[in-house]
Amino acid sequence: MENGYLNTKSNSLNVKTSEGTDPNQVKSRSKPELNKDGVTTVIYPVLFGVFILLLWQTQLLHKILGTDTFTLPLPGRIINIILGNIPEILKNVQATVIVAAGGLVLGSALGYLLGIVAMAFPQWGYGGISIASAFTAVPIVAIAPILNNLTKDFSDDPNARSMLAKTLVVMITCTVSMSINAYRGFTELKPYSLDLMKSYAASPMTVFLKLRMPNSLPYVFTALRVSVPTSIISALVSEYFAEYIIGVGRQIREGIVLAQYATAWAYIIVACAIGILMYAILLIAEGIILKDRRNR
Amino acid sequence: MRRSKLLAILLMSAMILASFAGCGQSIKSATTTSEVSSEVSTDEADSPSSSDSVSESSGKYYDPTDSVESIIKDAASKGKVGNWGLGNEYEVQALLAKYGQPITFLSQAFDMDGFDNDTILLASAMTYNELGLVKNSYEGGYGYGDQVGIIDMNDEGVAMLEDNIFCTREFAQKHPNTVKAFLYASMKGWEYACQNPEEAAEIVYKYGSSVSGDHQAYMASEVKKLVETDTTGAPVKDYGNMDEKAMQQTLDLAKQYIQLSDPDAAKKLQSMTLDDIRDASYIKEAMASDGKFGELEKTSVSIQLKWLPQAQFMGYYVALDKGFYKDVGLDVTIIPGGGDIGETTAVYTGQVDFGVTWVSNLIAANAGGMDLLQIAQVYQRSGLVLVYKLN
Repeated sequence: MENGYLNTKSNSLNVKTSEGTDPNQVKSRSKPELNKDGVTTVIYPVLFGVFILLLWQTQLLHKILGTDTFTLPLPGRIINIILGNIPEILKNVQATVIVAAGGLVLGSALGYLLGIVAMAFPQWGYGGISIASAFTAVPIVAIAPILNNLTKDFSDDPNARSMLAKTLVVMITCTVSMSINAYRGFTELKPYSLDLMKSYAASPMTVFLKLRMPNSLPYVFTALRVSVPTSIISALVSEYFAEYIIGVGRQIREGIVLAQYATAWAYIIVACAIGILMYAILLIAEGIILKDRRNR
Repeated sequence: MRRSKLLAILLMSAMILASFAGCGQSIKSATTTSEVSSEVSTDEADSPSSSDSVSESSGKYYDPTDSVESIIKDAASKGKVGNWGLGNEYEVQALLAKYGQPITFLSQAFDMDGFDNDTILLASAMTYNELGLVKNSYEGGYGYGDQVGIIDMNDEGVAMLEDNIFCTREFAQKHPNTVKAFLYASMKGWEYACQNPEEAAEIVYKYGSSVSGDHQAYMASEVKKLVETDTTGAPVKDYGNMDEKAMQQTLDLAKQYIQLSDPDAAKKLQSMTLDDIRDASYIKEAMASDGKFGELEKTSVSIQLKWLPQAQFMGYYVALDKGFYKDVGLDVTIIPGGGDIGETTAVYTGQVDFGVTWVSNLIAANAGGMDLLQIAQVYQRSGLVLVYKLN
């Protein structure tokens, strides 16, 4: 109640100042202009999206791409399929998200740990990490079937051992970017900060906890910005080869092999939504956690 | 300080060890998978070790006197029924349903390692391919010999027809003479191949060696049985004939077990009749003709196989090698399949003119919105069996 009152008051104040020739005018104008900028950065992409959707629904897009409504079904039909299969889709989304998030957390934790190790031995730590980065060159397509075979004895439940195999694939793909970035976060310190710590006669542990670790935080988020989309891609691809048939990626494959393109597209849209959502969560988390840092 | 350094050394060495161990393993296993994906062409599992494991663990498997029902119930209750999925699973699901079991199955790889290491107790196998690898001890085989039993889909009344020849309805309507000429020459190839399976196997081996020569020969002899006997076991004389009863059974089972999330497609599937998927007139006219089809609307055509070059498709390779296609005035290119290349998609988009697929896959594709037309049914009975180990 009180808030509402205050808002209306400030609004009327704004109107007043914009009419008059107050020195405050510049200040008050700059505020709505900033908002306008924020709005346009959102509106233009949205408009573009709507434009593409219109082209798609009116089949102009099909003419441009030289395809037909079978290979690229209309958005209405895709949305219809998504709405008609929500429980089934949620089951698959859950399986994919558990694998992607689990692998992301494990891989990032391992990567951070490797970063610490590399920092402790600067002479060969960085070289070691560079070698480990060769892991990113191993294609997911190659390691997924291998890990399936390696985890055969893990559990009698095929769902459980498939989950493990898929999570390991995601973990491997997420480790390296984190270890490289964490290493940089530990070593690329502000000038003189290390000297300052030395002048305090701080132990290496204190230097690590008070200087290096906080300094690595933005680098962790840089790594996660790479890892989050990668984790979802790896999860989707590893599902192709998993023993137990579940997951968004697997449903895309089934849809395409069985020539059910509309269903495949529905799951592709779902996969995109998962990716965007996880990235958005990351950005929000980053905004909250790094807020103080930016204000400083 | 020293302690943390020591700890770090330990972690570092563990990391390096792990990375190197991982590298070695991945290279080794990557090659195995590539071998496996080409239908086990190299010396994988050697026969003595696998037969050892059989004798060691007696009592774990099934007895020859066990009924089909008890075997299926046991394997299903343990969740150890395997199939490749991706449209190959409907017969297995129909069989599971017949004995009141849940229709879930394990995703089986394109090798029989899962069966060999007991991950799968009741594994799917094609009589002409995986079953031969399980039984025989030639290159790539597992050498189980008589130590395995099978459950035949034809005997169980859940057979669905497999390899056919199809094109789009539009292509058939625009190129009737080409279609008939292609069918005539292809059937001539199949006839020759079935009369001379050994020679046919050699011809196929020449065109593509996805599997060993021995296995091609085995495959040719088994494929001959599928082409020349129907689901009841009676001999078939008309190559490529579409048996109404078997086609109807295939469609009925497809309606029951093909699960489509797309409501439009599901509706279309349920209202589908045989006329929506096949036209028997082309094969009838082709077989009744003398091999002259007038002017061909298109002389250069291609056929997309469902899988890698192997005796499963020997009729086409024989027709090509023996010049049967040339005799009717056709220049034919055979395009091998494999992996996720959808033969239905390839034909629908016009990349190829003809295709070989399973009838159930064609039904699913038409339900999804394609307009494909089956013009011949090459395999007269189901080649799918479930294989289990004997004590």
